[in-house]
Amino acid sequence: MTSYIGKDVARFEDLRFVTGTGTYIADIRLAGTADVCFVRSLWPHAHCLTIDADAARRADGVVAVLTAADLAGLVLPFSRQFYSNIDPILEAEYGLWIGPYRAPVLASGKVRRVGEPLAMVIAADRYLAEDAAELVDVTAEPIAPVLNPDEALHPDAPVLHDDLPSNVHAEFTVEVGDPVGAYDQAQCHIEQRFRVRRSNGCPIETRGVIAQFDAATRQLTVWSNTQTPHTLRGYLAEMLRLREDAIRVIKPDMGGSFGGAIYPEEVAVAAAAIVLGRPVRWIEDRQENLANARHSRDQWHEIRVGYNLDGKIVTLIDDVIADSGAYNPFNVTLSFNAASHIRNQFDIDNLRVHARHVLTNKQPTTPVRGAGRTEATFVMDRIVDLIAADLEMDPADIRMRNLIPASEMPRDMGMYYRNGRRLIYDSGDYPAQLRSALEKIGYASFRQRQQEARRAGRYLGIGISSHVEGSGYGPFEGAIVRIDGSGKVNVACGSSPHGQSHETVLAQVCAEVLDVPPDEISVRTGDTSLLPYGGGTYGSRSAVTAGNAVHLAAVKLRKRVVEVAAEVLGTGSDRLTLQGGRIFDLANPASCVTFWDLARAATPGSGMTATPGLEASAYYVPPTVTFASGTHIAIVEVDPSLASVKVRQYVVVDDCGTMLNPMIVEGQQHGGVAHGIGNALLEEACYDSDGQFTTGSFLDYLLPAATDIPHIDVVHESHPSPLNPLGVKGTGEGGATSPPAAVLNAVADALRPLRLELTEIPLSPLRLFLDIEAAGG
Amino acid sequence: MPDEMRISFTLNGTQRTAMIKSRHTLADVLRDEFGCTGVHLGCEQGVCGACTVVFNGRTARACLLLGVQADGTSIVTIEGMPSETGELHLLQQTFSSAHGLQCGFCTPGMIITAAELIHEVPAPTETQIREALSGNLCRCTGYANIVLAVRRAAEAGGPDRGTSWPEGASGLSDDAAQSHGGAPDD
Repeated sequence: MTSYIGKDVARFEDLRFVTGTGTYIADIRLAGTADVCFVRSLWPHAHCLTIDADAARRADGVVAVLTAADLAGLVLPFSRQFYSNIDPILEAEYGLWIGPYRAPVLASGKVRRVGEPLAMVIAADRYLAEDAAELVDVTAEPIAPVLNPDEALHPDAPVLHDDLPSNVHAEFTVEVGDPVGAYDQAQCHIEQRFRVRRSNGCPIETRGVIAQFDAATRQLTVWSNTQTPHTLRGYLAEMLRLREDAIRVIKPDMGGSFGGAIYPEEVAVAAAAIVLGRPVRWIEDRQENLANARHSRDQWHEIRVGYNLDGKIVTLIDDVIADSGAYNPFNVTLSFNAASHIRNQFDIDNLRVHARHVLTNKQPTTPVRGAGRTEATFVMDRIVDLIAADLEMDPADIRMRNLIPASEMPRDMGMYYRNGRRLIYDSGDYPAQLRSALEKIGYASFRQRQQEARRAGRYLGIGISSHVEGSGYGPFEGAIVRIDGSGKVNVACGSSPHGQSHETVLAQVCAEVLDVPPDEISVRTGDTSLLPYGGGTYGSRSAVTAGNAVHLAAVKLRKRVVEVAAEVLGTGSDRLTLQGGRIFDLANPASCVTFWDLARAATPGSGMTATPGLEASAYYVPPTVTFASGTHIAIVEVDPSLASVKVRQYVVVDDCGTMLNPMIVEGQQHGGVAHGIGNALLEEACYDSDGQFTTGSFLDYLLPAATDIPHIDVVHESHPSPLNPLGVKGTGEGGATSPPAAVLNAVADALRPLRLELTEIPLSPLRLFLDIEAAGG
Repeated sequence: MPDEMRISFTLNGTQRTAMIKSRHTLADVLRDEFGCTGVHLGCEQGVCGACTVVFNGRTARACLLLGVQADGTSIVTIEGMPSETGELHLLQQTFSSAHGLQCGFCTPGMIITAAELIHEVPAPTETQIREALSGNLCRCTGYANIVLAVRRAAEAGGPDRGTSWPEGASGLSDDAAQSHGGAPDD
């Protein structure tokens, strides 16, 4: 049989994208559409007194102005967090506590952040809506804002939510082994406070929602560039109190995402369509996007690490504060990811992570590519380098000394994962991965290169970081595979892409089973009408969950195809072979049927088969996450006079198990590395001391450009996962996990005589300048 | 300035006329009046480059121009990127074969910017490619395969090989050639 898995199949989705004929949310045209401009809070924290929209309602082209009062009978607030099904074991073992959650669609009474939606101005076009939005007069009585966790945790701090006793919204303590005892016994200690500053997910396409309500049939259709169409449908049904089958959510072509959520704007626009009885559209602008979508990171880690003189790390104690912003929709996702991944690839028997989610008057933080792992990995791998510096050892040696050997796989890490299952590294060879990365970058000869450069007045440095990544988070993903009346194979899947190449990769998976060329298989996603249950694309899950769902459905369909062929050919199904779209008896190859024949035979009423239909559906329920891993090495050049950092070389050794399409895996790695370099050096979402958002343009919020990113070498060291039929592990986020540590370790190495601590990202030129000055450089 | 103005211009090789709102941006006019939805709006701040079009033979950001400025000009969008071979523009082919796109949102602007580079500098170095593309942001690819796609097109291309630049190009100034001179690869 031809093998389609593992081939660099060029993408089927590309043609429409390179010709500009994709259909993104803003490209959808519905007759009679009105455009929304949101009126947003100007205050970080205030009692909102009045909203006077009379002048706006009279303005040219305005259809309506809707406030919370106008939607009061129609829309319920958010009352349920994402991943709210917390396994009781986490409460029992780790004292996990999560506070009540209630977040408005349109705020009234109290606003808790700058940018919080207050009203929707709906007009004939966006220009007119923006004009009228300026006429909406909001009066408010400011409350002192709390803008960082230190302020928020102060006993006298204003509390953001009346139903909480303080500004702590969630808390847990994970303990493995005897972390404090081991700390006391360790020969050496480091205490350090790390900070991973706030950044944005920043897809190049902004958010958008279009909603249409047919009052006659009470059918609501919502187009949204969401990562989770089925989840959005569920929230809309709950919050608008509609039957689920009255709602269809469609995700059109989508210009990136890098972090998902269900946003108040999605519910508000749907509600407006119901109120107005005409299509309503909201297309966000960039300023709005930077202030109101996909903020992430913003963690503090207070670390105590105990290690011995031989470099062996024996214990890690971490006090994590996650600055969650004004609401905490993802409960402990980000902090628990940090706790689960902070030991990285290392054999550390003792761990204590105490984590608190603290509410502040800022945009909520939600998962973005890396999602807690980037933060934890930065902290851990900076520590490894600080230990190396303290012991005057080579960081590569320290790493090798602490890595979990391949012989110990699978390795139970002594704690539970967020899904309530044991945290088990299922596969991989971390020492081989490190050796491979060292070899690829030329580590052995680098020191000489470094010295030569130094003599020429250039400061080169090298830095290593590794990571693990629990990927393929459940609970499930679904797929339907069918052969249609034309004998063609169709795949429908509940996971939908925002750049991940589902149309190609899922076709490859299906092709492998049904032995049909992948370019003859259509893959449809991003529509809740395709199948009853769907998950989505997040958490590096689609190759694992959607890939295996399609695989399982295709296996079922293959069995069905052979059964129908046996009926048609009047032979035993065990005598039949499926090959190249034909099913035949090996003993008599001339007697064969094609998928087209079987499609005819399986038509109801054909009289040729006992039961009609050529379709199979499957839901893949992963036993738990599977652990992908990677090792990154960066070489940077630092210009101390400008405090500038240029990443010169970058090597990734990646283990995502079976690769479905290596070209696409490499693309995911490249993109992740660039995102991680942005986090390391450039990207920061900022609020000023009054709580105003100050990075509302791409001139303020710096995304990496082509000149900021080096050539990236990707080496694959694949160890298939034993946990799923395809042997795949996720690859979407690993690329973004290690760059901050690799790059900052390299900067520290370039300026080693200064013994810089480098405990914060992004390492902007200003921060590096101040660090160099403080070190007397 | 009146609220509405009539514009007449060449769009993707065809003479077009429309009455437009004088305050509407060129990007909105191209998208909404003429259906060129391949002109993508990523920032409307002139930074991301997704809305890049060919404006009188040079790249320009459609979000920073007003629609009325199109009057009397020649504009080419991704929908009109020509190829003398009748196939896709070579860059459209190499972006796909090199996996130089993922979500596809930045792709039209990238391809138009890259086409201008290859028109001006037929054999660009990697540094020149990265410099030329540095005003076009991509969040998906890390640029690696975009650079590869441009290099492949430059190597395979030439005026008669599907890397043509739209008619109406205003001829190269010495400055333009210089601007891509750049530093040597490092």
